[in-house]
Amino acid sequence: MRQYETVFLISPNLEEEETTKIITQISDIISKEKGKLIQEDRWGKKRLAYPIKKFEEAFYVFFHYEGDSNIPLELERRFKQTEAILRFLTVKKETRENVRKKRKGIPAEEETAAPAKEEEIVVPQDEEKVGKEEEAEKKEEEETAAPTKEEESVVPQDEEKVEEKEEEAEKKEEDKEDLNSAETSKEDK
Amino acid sequence: MARDQRGDRGGFRRHFTPRRKVCRFCQRNVRDIDYKNVDVLKRYILERGKISPRRMTGTCAFHQRKISTAIKRARLLAMLPYIEG
Repeated sequence: MRQYETVFLISPNLEEEETTKIITQISDIISKEKGKLIQEDRWGKKRLAYPIKKFEEAFYVFFHYEGDSNIPLELERRFKQTEAILRFLTVKKETRENVRKKRKGIPAEEETAAPAKEEEIVVPQDEEKVGKEEEAEKKEEEETAAPTKEEESVVPQDEEKVEEKEEEAEKKEEDKEDLNSAETSKEDK
Repeated sequence: MARDQRGDRGGFRRHFTPRRKVCRFCQRNVRDIDYKNVDVLKRYILERGKISPRRMTGTCAFHQRKISTAIKRARLLAMLPYIEG
């Protein structure tokens, strides 16, 4: 016994009765083959990302069921015969919990990486300050360490420093934006 | 951190700004990515509908595989485009 999920797209030009008829036929097949219907989901008419058989929208139906492998076979045979079915897809469903446990073989690499990142996120301003201070120190060092150099060579270096700081600031902003987009999953594009 | 190595940079630093990216799915400890979750998948395709490479999104190898299969399934069901524009 295995869990499957079958999705199929019914063409939009059918009457409501006909679509429900097709759906009941399919669920009948599942029950006839001694499968257990776990969940039935209807998204209704949805716009397609690209036209299929010149239809711009279709009726999405999802069946999540448990049973032997002959059920998906029978369903797909039926789908192929039915004109009104535009597309179908059957997927084996994982029954395990959707949590990925860390393997023992890999010691804390991920764990150390994640908190470090978090720190960076939590105190971005402080770090930025620190970074600037460091750079300022470096600048001083360079200036003091290279008195023999000509002044002309020192000036462009300073410009570079400024640019670098700007870059860094931009990067930080980007980081923040990324975070925001992670929280609000829908708004991206 | 990359910042420490900044002292002895060459000319290439100007074009190459390293940034540590972490796989968003690892952070959440998810294993499978559902093909029905179009809103999430949309963030991993480019303007033209291509699957974003790992080097851009920072996804780990494990989850990149999951994403790509999920996107391909979603494409078959016309939830996502094969090509756009």
